[in-house]
Amino acid sequence: MPRDPSIKRVLVIGSGPIIIGQAAEFDYAGTQACRSLREEGVEVILINSNPATIMTDLEMADRVYIEPLNVEFAARIIERERPDGLLATLGGQTGLNLATQLADAGVLERFNVRLLGTPLASIQMAEDREEFRSLMRRIGEPVPESWIVEDTDALAESGTHGVWPLIVRPAYTLGGTGGGIAHNMEQLMEIGSRGLKLSMRGQVMIERCLLGWKEIEYEVMRDANDTCITVCNMENFDPMGVHTGDSIVVAPSQTLSDKEYQMLRTASLNIIRSLGIEGGCNVQLALSPDSFDYFVIEVNPRVSRSSALASKATGYPIARVAAKIAVGLYLDEIQNAVTQKTLACFEPTLDYCVVKIPRWPFDKFTLADRRITTQMKATGEVMAIDRSFEPALMKAIRSLEIGAYGLSGKHVNALSDVQLEERISVATDERLFAIAEAFRRGMMVEEVQALSAIDPWFLHRVRNLVAMETRLRVHGRAIAALADTLDPTAAEVAILREAKRMGFADKQIGECIGLAESLVRDLRRAFGIVATFKMVDTCAAEFEAATPYYYSCYDEETETIA
Amino acid sequence: MAASSGKKKIVVIGSGPIRIGQGIEFDYCSVHCVWALREAGYEALIINNNPETVSTDFDTSDRLYFEPLTTEDVLNVIEAEQPEGVIVQFGGQTAINLARPLHDAGIRIFGSSCESIDLAEDRDRFERVLRDLGIPKPAGRAVTSLRAAEEVAEEIGYPVLVRPSYVLGGRAMEIIFAPDELRSYMQYVVEVSPKAPILVDKYVLGREVEVDVISDGEDCLLPGIMEHIERAGVHSGDSMAVYPPQTLNRDIIDQIVDTATALARRLEVRGLMNIQYVVEGNAGEKHGSQGLHGGSAQVIEVNPRASRTVPYLSKITGIPMVKVATHVMVGRTLKEQGYKGGLHPSAPLIAVKAPVFSFPKLVGVDIALGPEMKSTGEIMGLETDYNRALYKAMIASGVDVPTTGTLLATIADHDKAEAVDIIRQFSEIGYSIYGTQGTATYLAARGIAAKVVHKIHDQTPNLLDLVRSGKVDLLINTLSPDKRTEREALQIRRASVEVGVPCLTSLDTARALLLALSARKQGRDFACDTVDGYLAPAAG
Repeated sequence: MPRDPSIKRVLVIGSGPIIIGQAAEFDYAGTQACRSLREEGVEVILINSNPATIMTDLEMADRVYIEPLNVEFAARIIERERPDGLLATLGGQTGLNLATQLADAGVLERFNVRLLGTPLASIQMAEDREEFRSLMRRIGEPVPESWIVEDTDALAESGTHGVWPLIVRPAYTLGGTGGGIAHNMEQLMEIGSRGLKLSMRGQVMIERCLLGWKEIEYEVMRDANDTCITVCNMENFDPMGVHTGDSIVVAPSQTLSDKEYQMLRTASLNIIRSLGIEGGCNVQLALSPDSFDYFVIEVNPRVSRSSALASKATGYPIARVAAKIAVGLYLDEIQNAVTQKTLACFEPTLDYCVVKIPRWPFDKFTLADRRITTQMKATGEVMAIDRSFEPALMKAIRSLEIGAYGLSGKHVNALSDVQLEERISVATDERLFAIAEAFRRGMMVEEVQALSAIDPWFLHRVRNLVAMETRLRVHGRAIAALADTLDPTAAEVAILREAKRMGFADKQIGECIGLAESLVRDLRRAFGIVATFKMVDTCAAEFEAATPYYYSCYDEETETIA
Repeated sequence: MAASSGKKKIVVIGSGPIRIGQGIEFDYCSVHCVWALREAGYEALIINNNPETVSTDFDTSDRLYFEPLTTEDVLNVIEAEQPEGVIVQFGGQTAINLARPLHDAGIRIFGSSCESIDLAEDRDRFERVLRDLGIPKPAGRAVTSLRAAEEVAEEIGYPVLVRPSYVLGGRAMEIIFAPDELRSYMQYVVEVSPKAPILVDKYVLGREVEVDVISDGEDCLLPGIMEHIERAGVHSGDSMAVYPPQTLNRDIIDQIVDTATALARRLEVRGLMNIQYVVEGNAGEKHGSQGLHGGSAQVIEVNPRASRTVPYLSKITGIPMVKVATHVMVGRTLKEQGYKGGLHPSAPLIAVKAPVFSFPKLVGVDIALGPEMKSTGEIMGLETDYNRALYKAMIASGVDVPTTGTLLATIADHDKAEAVDIIRQFSEIGYSIYGTQGTATYLAARGIAAKVVHKIHDQTPNLLDLVRSGKVDLLINTLSPDKRTEREALQIRRASVEVGVPCLTSLDTARALLLALSARKQGRDFACDTVDGYLAPAAG
C-alpha cells in the first residue's frame, strides 16, 4: 500500500539521557527515522531532553523541542503542533512509556493523534507478563513455567510440576539478594522460605531454570500486509543467565544446526505475526544445548540495542524501514538503501562474522560488584567484523580500550587455579580472559565447558587463539630472525600470516616474539602480509552496494565498488 | 581501493565505545565533522567501532570503516585510502591519543598540531606556558614520590587535589585534607613513579567555569561560557551547569576571554579547545562588593579537543561549533566564515545542563559526588529564567520531588553552618524535616524543628528503615571525614537508590533544587518552545 497521505505531521519521541541499558542506539534509530519520514514528505516534530544527539539537530527534524520527557510537556507540544501521528517505538523504553502515559491520559484521543506503527495493544501484550504468556500458549510457543508465590503452601505447590531445576527470585529485595537455584523440593523450600522473608513484599518468583541454555535472538520485521522477514539472528557467547546487553554476542549464530536455525526463525515469525507488530521487533529465545527444546524468553516490540547491532552487522537499516512501515508502506515497496536495487523484503545475507563485546564501567567503579547477571551493567559496546570468529573477537577486544590487545593481560595470570576456575564459573567482565588463561594452563575444553556452560564451539575458538599465541612464542626467535633473512620460503612466514589472519595485533605478536610493534609491522609488510578490505553489502556480493561500508581482514583480495 | 571521486579525502577518527567520561557527545561531534567536510568538498571517511551510533550509520560518511581505534588498525585504513590526513579533535581522548603515533608515521593531523596537543597535555610544559603568559593557576606541582608529595602539600597547604597525570574523566582524583590521607592515597590508590607523576594542587574552593573556544590561530571565538552550579571538587561531567553564567562579574568574564584568547594563540590552536577555570571564593559574585578586580579566574585544565559541552553550546548559542571548527581546520578563517573573535553575545535563553546517573544498575557504587566522574549521561533544561530552567533540568534528570514533603538531612559537622539556611528554606516551604540526633539538635538550636531518627547501629526504626519505608521524598547527605559515619552514610545513600528517592550530596545542588521548587510553586506556566523559538523569541 502506498504511504498513507493523511499522515502529514509526525511527533517522534527520543529516549532522553544516556543511562545503562539505553545508550546511543536510540539516537541512531531516531535519526534514521527522522530522515526516513522526511524522505516521504512527512513533517517531523521531535522531542528529547538530551541535546547531545544528532536527532535533535535542526537538520534532522522540522521542529525540535528540547524539553523534559513527561506528559506535561509532551501534551503541550501536541496541543501546539497538532501532529497527525506519534512514533513512539524509536525512543527506547522511555519513548514507549511516555506514549502509553499520553494514551492513558487521553491526550492522544483529545488531539486526535494516531499512534503509528505497532499498535498500543500489541505493545502492552508484549510487555505484560501474563498477557504475553497466554498469547504464547495460544499459538503453541513454549514459555518457561513460572509461578509467583506469597506463602509456603504455594511454594511447595510450585515444586510439584516435575520441572527442575527452579530458579528462586525474591521480589523487591535490596540489591537483588536472596535468590538461588533449587534442584529438589528440600532446596526449594529452604531458598524459597528465606526469599519470602527477604522480599519487601513477601513475594517470590519461581521459574524454570534455564541457566546454561543457549541464548539466541532474532531481529524480525513485519508490515501491515503481514509480510515478515528476519533481518538476522544473533547468538550469545555467554549462555542464559547473563543479560544480552552484558553478553558477548556473535552474528550470525555459529553453533546452530540448520534445523535449529529454521525452528527458531519460524517461532520468531509466528510471534511477530501473533502480536501484530508493524515495524521491528526483537525475539529472545533459549535453546537447550542438548535437545531441540526451546523457550520464548522475551520480546521487545520496538527498535532496541539489539536492532542497532543487527543493523550494523547486516547493513539493513531497521529503524529506517520501521519508520516507513509506520506511515503505511509495505516491505516490498521500500528500497534497500545499501544496494539501491533490492527491496526491504529481502533477508540480508552475511558472508562474514560479527562479534560484539560490552564495555563495562568497572575501570571507573573499582568497588562495584563485577558479576554480570540479569541486570545490565555495561555502558556501551564495540563491534568488529572479520572473515571468521577468531579475528573478529580479537579486533573487538582491542576496540574496547581496556589496555588489552589480545587475550592476555587483565592480571588473570596471577590467579591461582582455584581462583581461575571461579572466574570461569561466575561470569564477570574478565571471564573471557580467564578462559584463555585456563587454556594456557592446559585445561581441557570439556572442563571449561563444565564450569561455564559456554558452547564448546566458542571454547575451541578461544583455545585456537591461545595455541597461536604459544606457537608465536615457541617460534619467536625464528620469526624475529626473518627480519634479517627476509626469506619468503621460510616456514615461519606462514605462522606470521596465519597469526594476522587470526586477528593478532602487531603489538601482541611483538610481545610474543620480542620485537617492537613497528618492527613487526615492517616485517610482515616485507612479506606482503597487509590488510585487505571487504564490503558489508547486505547480500553477500549478489548485488552491487551503493553505500560503501568496509572491514579489514588478512584475506586475499580487496573488494572495490564499481 | 574504492573508485575515486576525484575529491580529496580526510579521515575522521571516532570515539569508540560509550563509557563514563566519553559519551555520545563525541559521536555527535564526529558526525558533524563528517558533514562539514563533505560540505567543504572533501570525501569524508570515518573509522569507528561503536555499533550504537549515528557515526557508524552506513550513509553518514562517504566511506565507513568498522575497525578498532589502534595505531595499527587506523594506519591500515590510511594506507589503503591515502587520505590528505586525519582529524583527531572530535573523537574524545581516544582520537587525540592517536595524534602522536599517526604524526610519527608521517600522517598529517588537521587542526591543532601534534606539538600543540602535547604542549597542552604535558603538565610541566603547560605550566611554563601559563607562567610565561602570566595566567594564574592553583599552586601545585607534579611529583614522583610520596616524600615530594608531602613537601608540596605542606608548602601550599591542605586541602589539596591529587590525581595521576594523563587521566580521563578524573579517575583516581581525590581531595585530601590531611597528611595521613595523602600517605594512604599515595600508597594504595595510585602507583607513582618517574614515568607516572602525580599532580598535587591546592584545592581552590570556588566556582568552576568552562569554555570551549574555536581558534584559527589568529582569532579566538568563545561561543559561550558555562558556569558550574556545584563548587569545585565535583567533576565537571557530574555538575549541573548554566549558560549564560549567573554569578560572574564583568571583570572575571573579561579575564576568561583574555586568557582563553592568549592560550589559543600560544598553543597555536586550530579548531576547538576546552578550558576549565576555578573562580575563587565569593569573588565572582555579580552583586558582590569586590569592585572591578574581584578575584581571579585560575586555569585548572585544558583539553586540546572538542569537549562534552560542545553539543550543548552549539544548540544554545546557535553557532554550529563543530562545523566552524572543521572549516577552520581545512583552511577557512573565522573571519571568512563571518565570525569575530571574543565572546559571542549571549542568547536570550537560560540553559541548565544536569547529569544523569545509572546507580540503580550498579550495585555497590557510592553515589556521592566528587572529583571522579560517575554520570552516564546528561540532559538540558531550556527556559527564559534561571529558576525555571533549573526546574526543567531537575525533572528531566530524574530529581522529581514534590513541592512539599519530607526531607531527611544528615549533614557533616563542617557543613552544618552552611546547611542551616537551606534546611530552613525547605522547612518554610512546608517540608517536614528528619535528622540524626546531631543534626536535629543543631537545627533546633537555630529554630528549625526536626524529628530525630536513630543511627543505623542504634535501635530500630533507624535511618535505613525510614528511607526504605518510602516516607521520605528527598535526602540531603553530605560527606563526613569520619570513616564510621561515612560507612553508615554509604548504606543510606544506597538505600535511597533502591527506593528511588533523590539523594543530594552537595549543598549547592540542594540550593538549586530550592530555586527550582520555587519556580514550580509560582504556578506560572513553563515555557514550551522549539530550540529556534528560544533563540529568536521575537519571531515566535
